[in-house]
Parts: sequence; C-alpha cells; structure tokens
Amino acid sequence: MNQFKHMSRRAREARFGKFAATGPFLLLLVVLILGLVAGGGALILVGNAWGWTLIGCAAPFLMLIFYINYEISKVPAGKSEDINDLLSREVLRSLPAKPTTKDIVNAIFETRSARFLAARYGLGRDLLDYIAERFEFKAEDVFEKSREIRAQTDSAQISGGVLAITLIVMTPGYEEMLKKMKLELSDLIGGVLWFNYLNNLLKSIHMPSHTGGMARDLMFGYTPILSRFATNISMQFDARGSINSSIKLHQEIVQQMVDFFSKGGRQNVALIGPEGSGRSTIVADFAETIVNAANKISADLKYRQIYKLDASALIGAGGGRGQIENLMTHIINEAYNAKNIILWLDNAQLFFEEAVGSVDISNLLTPVIEGGRVRMILTMDQQRFLEISARKSQLTNALNKIMIEPASEEATMKVMQDRAIIFEGQNHVYYTIWALKEAYRLSERYIHDLVMPGRAVNLLEVAAAHAQNGRVDDTSVQRAIEATYGVKLQGTQEKEDRERLLNLEALIHERMIGQESAVKAVSDALRRSAAGVRNEGRPIGTFLFLGPTGVGKTELAKSIGEVYFKGEQNMVRVDLNEFVEATDVQRLIADGASDEMSLTAQVTKRPFSVVLLDEIEKAHPLVLTTLLQLLDEGVLRDARNHEVSFRDTIIVMTSNAGANEIRKYIDEGLTGAAIKERLVDQLIANGDFKPEFLNRFDEICIFEPLNKEQLEQIVQLIIKSINKTLEPRKIVVSVEPAAIPLLVESGYDPKLGARPMRRIVQQTVENIMAKLVLSGEIDSGAKVEITAEMIKEQLA
Amino acid sequence: MLALDLIQWWYLHGWGLYLKRFKNRIHSTFEFFSIGLLLRTLFQPFRQISANDTSGRTDPVSVLNSILDNLLSRTIGFFVRVGIITVGTILTILEVVLGTLFAILWPVLPVLPIVGICLSVAGFSFGSLLQ
Repeated sequence: MNQFKHMSRRAREARFGKFAATGPFLLLLVVLILGLVAGGGALILVGNAWGWTLIGCAAPFLMLIFYINYEISKVPAGKSEDINDLLSREVLRSLPAKPTTKDIVNAIFETRSARFLAARYGLGRDLLDYIAERFEFKAEDVFEKSREIRAQTDSAQISGGVLAITLIVMTPGYEEMLKKMKLELSDLIGGVLWFNYLNNLLKSIHMPSHTGGMARDLMFGYTPILSRFATNISMQFDARGSINSSIKLHQEIVQQMVDFFSKGGRQNVALIGPEGSGRSTIVADFAETIVNAANKISADLKYRQIYKLDASALIGAGGGRGQIENLMTHIINEAYNAKNIILWLDNAQLFFEEAVGSVDISNLLTPVIEGGRVRMILTMDQQRFLEISARKSQLTNALNKIMIEPASEEATMKVMQDRAIIFEGQNHVYYTIWALKEAYRLSERYIHDLVMPGRAVNLLEVAAAHAQNGRVDDTSVQRAIEATYGVKLQGTQEKEDRERLLNLEALIHERMIGQESAVKAVSDALRRSAAGVRNEGRPIGTFLFLGPTGVGKTELAKSIGEVYFKGEQNMVRVDLNEFVEATDVQRLIADGASDEMSLTAQVTKRPFSVVLLDEIEKAHPLVLTTLLQLLDEGVLRDARNHEVSFRDTIIVMTSNAGANEIRKYIDEGLTGAAIKERLVDQLIANGDFKPEFLNRFDEICIFEPLNKEQLEQIVQLIIKSINKTLEPRKIVVSVEPAAIPLLVESGYDPKLGARPMRRIVQQTVENIMAKLVLSGEIDSGAKVEITAEMIKEQLA
Repeated sequence: MLALDLIQWWYLHGWGLYLKRFKNRIHSTFEFFSIGLLLRTLFQPFRQISANDTSGRTDPVSVLNSILDNLLSRTIGFFVRVGIITVGTILTILEVVLGTLFAILWPVLPVLPIVGICLSVAGFSFGSLLQ
C-alpha cells in the first residue's frame, strides 16, 4: 500500500513525460508525421507501393501525440488508495527506486506546489535539507503520514506541498520550529488549499465555456445612451479565468440575489453594508454567475448584463434636475427594451439626495423600482440607507434588502489570497503569508474608514509598492501603513527612538521643571506602550492631571506630544469649559463636515496625537459620560455613527478641582500617594467626579505647587528660550544669580502659579536686551550678563 | 514497455477520452454559434428594435405602420439568425462527420503500419483498383 514502485505504470509515464510532454518533442513528432505522410504520398504518386509503409508508419507517431496530450502530460490519479496511484506526476517523475528522505526532498522541490509554499511560507530548500540531514524517515512512513495531510488539505493527489508538510510534521518538535517562523500547522494546510484553489482556477480556463456564444447579444436590444453613462461589468467575464469570490458569505448573498431575480415580485436587490464589506465584489460575482449558463439559474436570468451607472457622468451631462430626469428616463427605457440589462446604482444615495455630486431623482426612480419592470441593483452604506429610509419610506419599502456584514478573519484571509494573485500579476511581486497576516492585523488596528475585508485588501495592495526584491512580507506591509497613515509601529523603532523612550523623563525635564511623580507615571505608561505590552483596545495612555493653575499640566501634555509624537503640533486641544450644557455633547462628537473643530473631527484628522481636554470639572456630566467609552475602548462614535479611533492617542485631561485641597494636604505634611488618595476621596465626596470616571484613567497625576527652587529653574528655562531666539544674532544673555530671586518674586502668583513668569522675564530681560541692541552698546557675538540692579530698574 | 503502455492506453482509456473531448468540442462549436438560443428566438425582432405598443390605439394608419415596422424587424431578425444557424450547422456537421470518422478509425490506427507493409508488399496502387 505504501511501497513505492519505481516501475509502476504511472511512475513510468511520469518519467517519460519529463521530456516527452514538451513543445520541442511534440513538434518533432508533428514534423515526422507530416514527413512520412508527404513522403509516402509522393512515392505512391510515382507508382512506388512502399509509400503505403511510410504512411502506415506515421500512425504510431500520431498515437504518441494523443497519448502525450491526453495521458502523459497529466498522469491522473489512479482509482485505488495505493500510494503509487496517489503520488502526483511531478513527484513520481523525480523519485528513484528506493527513495531516501533526501530523495524525497529533491522530488518535492521539483513540484510547483512546494515552490509555492517555499516562496509564500518560507518552507524553503534549506529547511527541508536541514530535516533530511538530521532525520532519516522510512519512505513508507512518509507516504503513510502524507495520506493524513492529503485528507486535511482536500488534495486529489499527494503533491510536493503535501509531502513538504508531511516531512515537517514528522520532525520531532516541529511546533517549536514553526513557532519560530511565526507559523502554525493550520497555516501550512491553508497554503496547500490556497495552491489547490489557484490550480483549479487555472484548469477551469480550459473547460468549455457557456457564456452564450457569438450570437447571444443578437437577442438583445441596442443601448446607445445607457452605454454612454454606464459600464458593462459582465463583459469582463466573457473572457475566461476570472476569480470568483471563494468566501461562503458572499456565495450565499449571490444565491439570494439569484433567488430574488428569479422569482416574481419586485425585481430589485439593495445591498446594504459598510464601505469595504465587499458590495462591489458581490455584484461582480453575481454578474459572473448569471453570465455562465452552466450555473443553476432561471432561463430568464441567463446572460443578463449588469451595467454600472456612473452618477457623476450622468449629473455632469444632465445639467439641471429636469434634464437628468429626462436622461434617466431614456436610460431606463433602453434598459427595459434591451431585455437583458440589470441596472446597478452604486452608491445609490447619489440618486436620492440633493447635494454636491448627487441629485434627488427619487420621484422618477421610486415608481420604476416599485413596478419592477427594470431589474435593478442598489448598493449603499447602512447610514445612508437609514437616512433615506427616514425621508423616503415608500422607496425603501419597495427594495429587497440584503444586509452585508463585515467579513470574519478566516473569510478575509481567503479574500486576500484571491486578491493577492491579481496584485502579483499587476505589480510583478509575490506575497508571503506574513504579509497577509500583517495586513489583517494592522488594518484592523489602524484603518477605521473601511471594514473587513476591504481594509485588509487595500493595505495589501499598497504594500506591493514596498516590496523588497519582489517579495512582499510583513515588513512591506508595516512600511506601507507607516507611509500611508503615518502610523508609528511598535517594535520597529530605530535605535534613536528606543533611546529617547528610555530617557523620556530627562527629555521631558529639558522643557519642564518639577512634577517628577507625574512625569515618571506618564513615562512608564509610554514605555509600556512602545514595548508592546499595553492593551491595544484602549488609548496608548489615559491620564488625569490634577493641580492648581500654572504648575505644568499643559506643559507636560505638550512635552509628551513633542517627545512621543515628535512634534508639539501633534496635539488636539479642547477646552471643556465650552461644553457645559447637555446639548453640547453633539458639538463634541459632531462629524467633520458640520464642525471641523469637534473632538471627533480633530482626532480623525490627527489619529496619532496627544488629546488634551482642559478643565474637565466644568463640563456637563453627560459630556463626561460620553468620554467613558473613549477611556474604556479607545473609540467614540461621531454624530453620523462613524467610529473614530482614539487608540493611537494619549488622552490627557486636566482639572483645577481640588487645588486648594492639594495645598492643604501639603501643609499638613502629606506627600505623593497619600495626597492622591485623600484628594480622590475628596473629589468623589464633593461630587466633582464619579468614581467610575476616575477609575478609568491609567494614572491620576497630582501636580503640586512649585517651590522657590523650581521657580528659579523655570526662570533659567525661560532665559534659555530667549537665547534660542537671539541665536541668529549670535548674542548670548545670562542673568547673575542674585537677580533670579527678584524675577521669581515678581513672576510668581499663588493663584496663577508660574504662568506670569514668562511675561515678567520678557518684560525685564528682553526689554534690557532691546535697549542695548538699539543703542549700539552691543553687537553680534556679544555676551551680556544682566545684573540684579538692571532688573530692579526695569521692575521699578 | 512504452509501446505496450501506449497500446494498452489506446484501447482501454484513450478511446473513451477521445470521445469525451469530441463531445465537448461539438458542444463548444454549438455554443459558439448560439444555435439553441437562435432557434428559440428565431422570430423575435432584430436587436429588439420594434415599434411602440399599439394596444389601445384606434388610428388605423399608425396601427398598420406599427405592424409593418414590427414585421420588418422580425423578418430581418429571422434572416440574420437563419444565416448564422446555417453556417453554424454546416460547421458542426462537418466536425461531427470528421470526428466520428476518426473515432471509427481509432481502433484501426495501431495496425496501420502492418496494413501499410501489407499493401506495399502486395504492390497496391490506386491504378490497380481501376484495372
């Protein structure tokens, strides 16, 4: 049963085919046949009877051509379960009489399926050679085990791919080996299924076509106007070998469409689903299904052509609504008279609402849809459908609705496998399984304006531009999303980035003084995120900064933007004291079209930023309740019900609530955690915040009032920034130590903290410098020390 | 070995495979000319070009015009379809005849070299047939 017979008929045929089933050999046979027949004929004509022998001798060569074409080039599987009947032609032709493991490996790499797995799954020659060098498996055992893999992969024969997986599975500790390659056995099984699917697709090209033939369209009418404003998407399926959707969900919907159009009643289908759910693919699948008479479809539906109406061309050509309605009437009449048209209104809302790029012709279309005389397919997203339903219930009631849900991970992987082949052909690259997996993972994480499978497929397509040596792998996908969406991916930081994260506290303290515990809490959270140990279903970090005015809360938020997102501009700032009414929630989550400064609109535009929500204690409780989802799940739904992701933002909320208590607790001698504990209890007791709100933050950071020493350091920071301004003039300014306490004393206000400090320093130091420059006392390259006397003079 | 394999395949599987492919080829030719479809729509108007519906009309001239228009369209349609059906049928018949002839010849093919040698030895020529 598992004993390989080198001289079995199939093995002999396979070896013969190695040189016989080639173009040159077949050409040689044809030339021989023609030569013998021509030579024989000529001899007969001149009266030589040996010509008959020549003609007769052409017969075996003709038989050989049939034999090679029908049998040798295929060597189909035998009928028994004997291994000699199951091994594929490509394997058989390379196996020696007594195959060792090394021989099996050699035979494996003579097959297309093994090369497919090598390129896409990394099961290369090196790996199998490594196995063959360390382990010697009995050929019978390999063949026995390969039967299991063959069954799991639903393969008709035992191919090179099946044998490659068999050898891996037989290797002790193979799971660990695969883990190192970021693979599982199920991935490899999927790889053979993927190859088999493509192989069957290639075979189907050679099957007889049933698309109606040359006279099919004679039955149907001319559509000159329709053809101007619509594209016949069925035309592409007249050519063979298109890729039909292989996912079950789409196949079921296509069947539903066939059922709706086959029975009596309203001849329309509305496909309603979010962007990226595959609405267009389903329509294309449906077009392909009905153009093929071999499928089980009613005679009335056979050979129908689907025309996708171009709304923009129609609106552009039509002018006013009256003209557009007139054009549309002609188009509908043509479609009806032609008898073979199904009209497809993609983004159907463009025909039912009055806006830029759309026109409301529902008065014309509703009776047509209700009457059902012209078959129609409408596609649109759920939100638009709900909006149209609210305004035009008569229209939506007349539609046969099919809801399309986003595809599952398994289905998305299958769709990506389908599409990868097309992208490979277009871009001359090949995709690895890691590229597909990464496209799924990253698109799910970072692309929110589409759903699966569309978002994963889009990313996969873009990744082709980032291929290295024609190979698209996980790194290509990472590069693609970084380039397209500005995402900063974990684990890919350069050395410089890693060092920055490790020295985050020092970097932040370069621009802000004090508040060590807050800075440390924030830095720790950001490092956790960068190391990939955070919960990806939440924002990078959520912080509540509590403390009096002017102690560095906003400065810390800006520092985070500068250090983590490489720019202070990567900050979305919303003052919640402008959201004091319950109705203000709508303003907070307004969509970008109606209010570009809403929180959701700003984060949509800057998904990688620090979100600073100031003075939250002044916001209406409903506003805070709305923010709970954001803190918990990292998403907010805007007014149009679109999900806006905050998962790549750092949320910072600030509040002055409890500022007096902080001072009191410090005076009482409390420090750090004790202050925080008492303050949080007090805020809850005062009703400032609810416990469920406070519990949702990663860290609540208490900002203590600044002491004299810290204020002096702040003065030094401000002087430093003045020097930066003067740098182009090469002037350096310094303040003598005795002058600094004077500035601190003038610049510090117990109510406003260090906030007036900058103004005071500007008034004094900058004024002194301005006078010196204008009077000509100093010039480029000068070094100026400002004394306490000069400061006193300025402050007088 | 090869000769034996070839002969064995020729009579056991080859013949059946040839007939199967022959059948597919006939089907493809039939399909290419859409003969079935054309027969079913033989009297339909050419490219669905027809006058508007006349039901409800009382004006005898316009009713007569419509009837004539439709008749003309159907006549053109009929002749175009018949033309294509004729070409398609001739080619299909030709293919059937040649294919059947080869199917009949199939079992004889392996013995043709022997037949050839016999004819040569016998000094067979077309001239001898006429004598």
